[in-house]
Amino acid sequence: MRIACVFVPQLALQAVLRRTPEARGGPVAVLEAGTNKAKRVARVTETSPEARRAGVRAGMTGAQASAVSAGLRLLTVTAADREAASAALADVGYAFAAAIERGDADRIFFDSEDLARLYPAGETAIAQAVQAVAARVGLGVRVAIAASKGVARLATRAHELALIPTAAGPARAALASIPVELLAEGEPDLAAAFRRWGLRAAGDVAALPVDAIGLRLGPAGARAGRLARGIDDEPFVPRLPDDALEEAIELDYPVAELEPFSFVLRGLIDRALTRLRERSLACAGLTVRLELDPRGVDVRAVPIAAPTGDAATLLQLARLDLARRPPAAPIVGVRLLALPARVRATQLDILRPAGPAPDRLAATIARLAALVGPDNVGAPAVEETWREEAVAVTTYEPSRPDDRGPLSLTLSPLRGARANGGGDPQLTIRRWRPPEEIEMLLNRQGPAAFRGRETTARVLIAAGPYRLSGEWWKEGEHFQRAYWDVHASDGAVYRVHQNERDGRWYLDGYYD
Amino acid sequence: MSSRPALDPALLSHLISAQRLEDRRGRRGSGIATLDRLLGGGWPRASLCELIGRRSSGRTAILYAALARAIAAGEAAALVDVGGGLDPRRAFAAGIALRRLLWVRCAADVAAKAADLVLGAGGFDLIALDLGDERPRLPAAGWIRFKHGAEKQGTTVLVAAPARAAGSCAAAVVQLGPGAPRFVADGAPLFDGLQAEATKGRGAHEHGPESEEARCASLAFSCRS
Repeated sequence: MRIACVFVPQLALQAVLRRTPEARGGPVAVLEAGTNKAKRVARVTETSPEARRAGVRAGMTGAQASAVSAGLRLLTVTAADREAASAALADVGYAFAAAIERGDADRIFFDSEDLARLYPAGETAIAQAVQAVAARVGLGVRVAIAASKGVARLATRAHELALIPTAAGPARAALASIPVELLAEGEPDLAAAFRRWGLRAAGDVAALPVDAIGLRLGPAGARAGRLARGIDDEPFVPRLPDDALEEAIELDYPVAELEPFSFVLRGLIDRALTRLRERSLACAGLTVRLELDPRGVDVRAVPIAAPTGDAATLLQLARLDLARRPPAAPIVGVRLLALPARVRATQLDILRPAGPAPDRLAATIARLAALVGPDNVGAPAVEETWREEAVAVTTYEPSRPDDRGPLSLTLSPLRGARANGGGDPQLTIRRWRPPEEIEMLLNRQGPAAFRGRETTARVLIAAGPYRLSGEWWKEGEHFQRAYWDVHASDGAVYRVHQNERDGRWYLDGYYD
Repeated sequence: MSSRPALDPALLSHLISAQRLEDRRGRRGSGIATLDRLLGGGWPRASLCELIGRRSSGRTAILYAALARAIAAGEAAALVDVGGGLDPRRAFAAGIALRRLLWVRCAADVAAKAADLVLGAGGFDLIALDLGDERPRLPAAGWIRFKHGAEKQGTTVLVAAPARAAGSCAAAVVQLGPGAPRFVADGAPLFDGLQAEATKGRGAHEHGPESEEARCASLAFSCRS
């Protein structure tokens, strides 16, 4: 088995630079406060190469670092930044393997043996491809490929790109030049012991018998001795990716307006989509978790009609949701959960037009909903009632093959005739909702004249009454009406009705 | 030297010129045979069209017939409905597959914006903007935007209003005269339908001389309530 180890040096710095990409290429230092009382003053922990060249060193206070380098940007790293960078690193692994092992926050392992067929140029091409993908998600990584996890991990401590042979002899030779400080990283006592013995590099340690090192320095020493010889028995435990992908940010100050918050959201969406894209996935669902100032959380699921990889669409949907239901307090932190999904190619119908793209349609419906209200956009539907003015709105389904509503049996022959252009066109009624109350003047035959808010006319011909009643089985909803079709003096044919329970007249609409 | 064989007259009647074929392809059926004849094949595709008529002129029926025809052909259609006057039962009876109609009910002041959003989404073959009794209050730039949007997206934008407004931006215009209602008077009167005169107005792409008869048609609408 060949194991690839991907390591992010200076994770805190890289996590901060993912959040503030405009700072890349300049002198940047990460400030972190110590946990105990004596070390509470924030000090520089990690620096960019430009800052190091300017003389900024780890351990300096912010004031000292600024004094050394005038253009230095001092940035603080948050837990959200670290988590997001670590998750992005995991996605780099998932771009190459179905399952990976997440070691520390700054390191992942995956099996690279299967990639040989994809990259016939060899392991160098694999390592370079990993570095390219990592660069796209905003991470600069070191990659090493070896026969075991420990050896690959050791190689990434010393080299940007390392390929350690599987055979013990060549592996030992490849590791020989690595300093003992890196061989015993995280164990300063062990490194000091090696130094005392006059050992400078892993090759020197490999020359000593492992049993003898173990006898004098304990299990850690023996492990270092075996590692220097290219021998490691640490098991590789890969696991599948999480269901959702997370990107988060903690803001320096509360944001109360949508416009500046959109910039924050755009960055998060861009980063999440870049990670999804590297895994050939799209976003099928978006959950935005807002941390409010001074306390409280606002969680909202942004509906997405179809999986999309378009950042503008997702941002628009999230913005519209926020505009429709603004958070109760200013926002101090955001966590974005993107649900990955495979984008399936749709087979278009050879005989039918393609219709609107699902993701653009979803964004358009969301924008329309923001403009006219969510209850006013969709597909019209017949309500299960005898009230003529009743109407419902349901989900618009452009690709639905055909209607199978309750009316289809009775009206389908007529529909077929109309759709083919045969027969007289069917008149409809343009309705006022709710029906407009009018004053009606009656004669012996029925309606003679009426006066409404905008319409006043004499009745030339009145056809009716057509009596309709229903819903007597519902408390307070019983209706009993007498409908008339009246040809009015303004030329229109109106549909009016009298509520026979209270005698009032209403204008329902006009035939058109 | 042999002379060119003459075509069978029966076959000859089926021949149409390539130019007319192109014109026919560029039209969408209105769903009403008489109107198709008047318009030379139907409403022009990828253009802005106007349907003018007052109350009870059959304007909405023509609009619904076009929507029904488009949906039956598998096209995506939308109705921007000022005032939300759509009657779903009668729309269904007119042949509209309701679940496949994007219905946006709105006030007059945002109707143009709503139609523009639908147009911008792309993929819609027919967008009907029914202004009801509202006179269009869109500036000239707005109509130009609609025209270019329709051309770009390949959409027919059919505006139904009581008065003309799009001017030269409209590729086809149909003006409906006041409807003459028909009542069946066998005992108590019963509303049966109406008759309306449709006149083809001058659209932006129509310049040729046409007789008055060719520009007018009588449309009969039935009421089967």
